[in-house]
Amino acid sequence: MDAFLNLLGGFEVAISPYNLVIAGVGVFLGVIIGVLPGLGGTSGVAILLPLTFTMPPTSAIVFLSCIYWGALFGGAITSILFNIPGEPWSVAVMFDGYPMARDGRAGQALALAFIPGFFAAFIAVVLFTFFAPPLAELALRFGPPETFAILLLAFSTFTGLGRGSPMKSVASATLGFILASVGLDVVTGRPRLTFDSIILLSGFSFITASIGAFGVGEILQSAEERLEFRGTQGKVGLGDLWLTIRETGRSIGTFVTSTVLGFWIGVLPGTGATPASFMAYGLAKQYSKHPEKFGTGAPEGIISTQSAAQSAGIGALLPMVTLGIPGSPTAAVILGGLYIWGLTPGPMLFIEQKDFVWGLIASMYIGNVIGVLMCVLLVPVFAAILRVPAPILTPSIILLSSIGAYAVNNTTFDIWLLLAFGVAGYVFKKLNYPLAPFVVALVLGDMTEEALRQSLIMSSGSLWIFFTRPIAAVGVVVALALFMMPLLRPGIARLRNGLGAVPPAQA
Amino acid sequence: MKRAEIITALALLVIAGFVMREAIRLGPGWGEAGPRGGFFPFWLSVVLGLSSLWILFQALRHGSQLARNAFFPPGAIRQVLTVFLPMAGAFALFEVVGFYVTALVYLVFYIRLTGRQSWALTVAVGILFPTVTFLIFERWFLIPLPKGRFGEQLLPF
Repeated sequence: MDAFLNLLGGFEVAISPYNLVIAGVGVFLGVIIGVLPGLGGTSGVAILLPLTFTMPPTSAIVFLSCIYWGALFGGAITSILFNIPGEPWSVAVMFDGYPMARDGRAGQALALAFIPGFFAAFIAVVLFTFFAPPLAELALRFGPPETFAILLLAFSTFTGLGRGSPMKSVASATLGFILASVGLDVVTGRPRLTFDSIILLSGFSFITASIGAFGVGEILQSAEERLEFRGTQGKVGLGDLWLTIRETGRSIGTFVTSTVLGFWIGVLPGTGATPASFMAYGLAKQYSKHPEKFGTGAPEGIISTQSAAQSAGIGALLPMVTLGIPGSPTAAVILGGLYIWGLTPGPMLFIEQKDFVWGLIASMYIGNVIGVLMCVLLVPVFAAILRVPAPILTPSIILLSSIGAYAVNNTTFDIWLLLAFGVAGYVFKKLNYPLAPFVVALVLGDMTEEALRQSLIMSSGSLWIFFTRPIAAVGVVVALALFMMPLLRPGIARLRNGLGAVPPAQA
Repeated sequence: MKRAEIITALALLVIAGFVMREAIRLGPGWGEAGPRGGFFPFWLSVVLGLSSLWILFQALRHGSQLARNAFFPPGAIRQVLTVFLPMAGAFALFEVVGFYVTALVYLVFYIRLTGRQSWALTVAVGILFPTVTFLIFERWFLIPLPKGRFGEQLLPF
């Protein structure tokens, strides 16, 4: 019951008045970020990251993670009321949430997202509490070869499990690695790829890159679409809560499967809440007694997607804290924050920074309670944000982005980088290059290179070291298999069609 | 879409070339005590080069399919530029007069001229936004924002 005692200690940290206020503000800002369609969770967290520079690390992580929880809740509001996804992970909530709201049951649709979403997050935090310490203990025994194998595994999930062109994922990740290697060589300290520029010596900041690629890129993209918010009104009443509890009880199987699936997808490096919600929707539909009702306002459609998304969000922080590998792009930005606050992500945190780790875990419980209360009570307030005209929102977000980029190094050079990353992000999005591998690679670049070079030093240059150590071997073999997945997929599809069977869609 | 696809792939290929040249200069191989500084970038440039060649090849092969969709849907380029150009202008202004004056000018310009909102709303946001950011960043979180070459004299704080 070590975990239990540690958790109590964590609550002592998280429940201090300062941290409670920080958590509340974080969730509130997170819901706003979630509600606004032009501003995603990843760029939202990156824009607000500079605010944490002067905070103690524990409050800083409470703040950023609570923004994440808020954004996971908030995306559903826009999807359900306006039929426009507030976040990529709430696209699937829209399928049944909006039809239900259009029928005049907006309050119930919202309750069906918030309440099961909250319980899913809660279950996920419990899983987190008891999985994290043993995983960290295992990770303590990792040497450079194991670390490299796990990192390779992280990147292979992008090509193996990601949608779209695998080669574009590879290009996007490599580009991130290349930008990460600009500056001082991690091992020898010599400058490289700086082309004799002093400003490039400090390298590219992942904050500027993620605000640019995600934030500014999103704004340019939404400029094309000229969004108009003509939606329904909604308020969550007591009756809606009661109906939701009954409905969730009836689809308890869907709820539990989606939560567990979401957690697992979240834990997998690189894949976050977005694929989790789509997969949960697919599974729920496949195993539903009334699959024909999906898309017309089926409660299960809302329950499954939102539960999976929120549980995935929590899961995404598990490998971040225990292994130092982010489970989602948003987690990658938070991980980058750890370096800025002077911490080294990874298993040593559980030994050297107990307050930090357990304060974070305790704040997950608290943050989600705040999140569900805030959403249920304040839906009309949050929905009103969407009535702010776009000509006010757009320049405000751009100005906040420029502050975020500037505050990284206090140079205006970063603002021009922001513009460049914004244009690149926009072009990448239009051409379906995934952006997540790019940001994750940028954050993990130094760690990956160090692990690889140290492994090779250990083995005097032989690659066999990755196959002779058991944990590393498993990781590398699975990673290689995942890298090969796109090549095998047509073959597998042919086999399946040939057999005439339709196995569950777990691509 | 086809042209954009090809240009992007070529740009990636050029980046790969630059990185490879630099990596070879740094030493892509084995040094006295292990892999040298150019080792990791060298292999990155190889992977990036190969993947961009593959993307290029695919774009050329499936060109007719890609060509059916324009990179910019009709009318989109104008919309994007009305957001992009003022943004670039604001960033240039940021360099000279710092954050607060930039925010005021940019907000007023954007909200009134491109957004066609009322003057009352424009002025309200133009003054409120810089004030609130000042309170949050400089007062509460102690993060100083640049006031620019003239900003120090223009602004009383």
